[in-house]
Amino acid sequence: MSDIAQGKQSADITSDASPAVSPQREPRVRRLNIIGRRNLFFAISLLIIIPGMYSMVTRGFLLGIDFAGGTEFTLNFSNQPSVAQVEQAVAAETIHGQSIDGSVIQTGNGDFLIRARPMLPQEQKVVEDDLQNKLGPMVVRQVLEVGPTIAGETIQFALLAVVLASVAILFLLAIRFHNLPGGWRAGFQFGGSALAALLHDVFLLTGIFSIMGKVLNWRIGEIDSFFVVAVLTVVGFSVHDTIVVFDRIRENLRVSQRLSFEQVVNLSIMQTAARSIITSFTVVLVLVAILIAGGSTQKGLALALLIGIVSGTYSSIFNAAPLLVVWRRLQPLR
Amino acid sequence: MQIVLSWPVRLFIVVVLAFSIFVDGAGYVYRIANHYPLTGNVPGLPPNFGGWQLYVHKGLDLAGGTHIDYRLINFPPSQSRADVQKKTIDVINKRVNSLGVSEPEIRGAGSNYDRITVDLAGVTADQAQKTIGAVSKLVYTKWVKDAAVTGGPVPGYRPAFVGLTGDDIQNATATIDQSGVGWVVNISFTSRGAGIFADLTRANVAACPGAGTDCPERHLTIWLDLTQKDIDSWADPAYASKVYSPYDTACLANQTPDTVCGKKLTDPTTLTEIAGGQAVISGGFTQASAQDLATGINAGSLPVDLQVLDVIQVGSTLGAESVKLSLAAGLLGLSIVVLFMILYYRVPGLLASLALLFYAAAVLALFKVIPVTVTLAGITGFILSVGMAVDANVLIFERFKEEVRAGRTIPAAVDAAVRRAWPAIRDSNSATFITCLILGFIGPPQVKGFALTLGLGVVISLISSIVVTHNLLAIVMTGSGFRRPALMGVDRVRNV
Repeated sequence: MSDIAQGKQSADITSDASPAVSPQREPRVRRLNIIGRRNLFFAISLLIIIPGMYSMVTRGFLLGIDFAGGTEFTLNFSNQPSVAQVEQAVAAETIHGQSIDGSVIQTGNGDFLIRARPMLPQEQKVVEDDLQNKLGPMVVRQVLEVGPTIAGETIQFALLAVVLASVAILFLLAIRFHNLPGGWRAGFQFGGSALAALLHDVFLLTGIFSIMGKVLNWRIGEIDSFFVVAVLTVVGFSVHDTIVVFDRIRENLRVSQRLSFEQVVNLSIMQTAARSIITSFTVVLVLVAILIAGGSTQKGLALALLIGIVSGTYSSIFNAAPLLVVWRRLQPLR
Repeated sequence: MQIVLSWPVRLFIVVVLAFSIFVDGAGYVYRIANHYPLTGNVPGLPPNFGGWQLYVHKGLDLAGGTHIDYRLINFPPSQSRADVQKKTIDVINKRVNSLGVSEPEIRGAGSNYDRITVDLAGVTADQAQKTIGAVSKLVYTKWVKDAAVTGGPVPGYRPAFVGLTGDDIQNATATIDQSGVGWVVNISFTSRGAGIFADLTRANVAACPGAGTDCPERHLTIWLDLTQKDIDSWADPAYASKVYSPYDTACLANQTPDTVCGKKLTDPTTLTEIAGGQAVISGGFTQASAQDLATGINAGSLPVDLQVLDVIQVGSTLGAESVKLSLAAGLLGLSIVVLFMILYYRVPGLLASLALLFYAAAVLALFKVIPVTVTLAGITGFILSVGMAVDANVLIFERFKEEVRAGRTIPAAVDAAVRRAWPAIRDSNSATFITCLILGFIGPPQVKGFALTLGLGVVISLISSIVVTHNLLAIVMTGSGFRRPALMGVDRVRNV
């Protein structure tokens, strides 16, 4: 059914004054040559990704409790003790004669975050009661306890999910685009370029978080299972944008036989850029709303999504399609 | 695409909308129908419509409570692991019922039936762990000669399991003993248990016959939570004496692999063979301790040992704050998007915003009907899917502008725009949907919630943007007043 519809559209477009054959109707932005300056855009991406990768390899990540394992108390004391007082009380805490290895962070809203080694619920209760005796009345807002098994599984899950999603998307695109001239080879060129853009976003996002967490020591750069959610959502969104561009390339390839492949790609990018930017802009608005108004647990997620979606839009416009052109040059269809 | 504009599709939209509004406002429908005030607490909420309880199921991070993941260890070798896991879940269920938690969630997981996840609203981790992990694994032992045991409470003997445990007990009740001062626990065995018990007591009496004579073989000892490891360590006199001391609930509840606790419940001499499957446990109980033991026995013993893998305990204040913040963020996000769409796309933007409201109503209704347990991550997924719902509209509207520039009339451009934007919308949404499927299948629980809400959002947003927006556009187009370029957000139109 879609093939018939597309057959009909190509007839429509060629009989009409189509955008491709009547340049006088096209807005001035069409003259932007993205494909011609592709090396500049690749360089911009690498400029951000390489320091991020370097930081990932040399420094690693600031791990959240669900990756690092251990116990995390979120406590709110009504007497509002100082950080030093809380640190002192935590340092004196022992379970079976061993220190709990606690560290203390005060969050923006006055809560204290205490990280300690793994302990049983009964032991947590002992620590809570003890702190209450020392520091006065408090509310236990949250206690997270993650053993090494779960921490290991979450990391495994994260890697598995990214790999599975990548493979699924590669094949989805290959299948959707293999009916172009060039068959499966063309299909995998489209799929592979989209995959490259997707990995660009994944590495950029994880790299920036590594820098924020380990180089700048910002707590928002912490990696937890919400971050995995963010990465996977970015994967979905990035492909969203890329598919819209690629779909336009497919359509234009059918109707604009006179243009070179590069011209078709450039034209398609220009035709879809407005949509990509506007859509991302609306999502960015929503995310900024969460960043401003959301709870602290959601902020890290919102920031990760924000970076990832901006990156996804950039990569779909400036990387995915130009990469397709480079690939087509290296491996011509016949 | 003509089918999208047919009357059955329009009827379907209206029905879905009406149903969604009914479900979303179920609480208000109930209040009005029963002449209750619209705010404040009224009895009978959440309302029940023919067996359907319609309300938003809040996850633990919103409602407050405790989540624990357990690993099951020491599976009994002869039984199927699936059955053991199921039985453990049943026992945990019975124990948790005593806490009076609303909707406790106890699920089995793990590739090898070795995980159980427990979600309890409004309970602290300490309470939950004490209740679930409570030791009431009642075991009987006899005493056998062992030359290696030279000291300890019973020199020359060690206990030996006899295959009789709390599982063989039909029922246990706490009653006042004959003297009227102390308390005892009366137990009645299952038919299997009664048989074993009769054989044991007969053998006991035969070991050193004669009224009044006593020897270690004549004792039938009842323990709480005695393990094979304890028996293997019996040659260590200090260890054996410690285990043989009266059971220590506090110690047992907090035990780690290294602690040694008292585990003896009672160690009576068997006076006569006891047939008929009735027995009495006496051991200086108070009313409370006798009742606790009876409850523990009735709830059954855990067929395996539970190891705590992780615990999440959320206070109720944090949950309530999260709900408020998320709602605020969601409303703020939705309003910004609506404002932007109307300013940028004019009449089509307004229609898309209406479609967005339809979308929000339908998704919320689905959350209540399915029901989806709403968590923080889930709400984020939902808010995010609002952004995606807009995307399909943006694709169509941008295409619409192009078609108008290419010289089409407005109605023709609407039609062409929807038709040509469709492949891109379909493919891009399938990519996101596939990601959601992967997350939903292999993700940990908190990620699954996100995947479910985002995935539902993708599907509904597709319907809302393609079907609802298109229909609204088609209806508005019939009024010629709306075809003015300024209202449609385009620069110029070729007049036909």
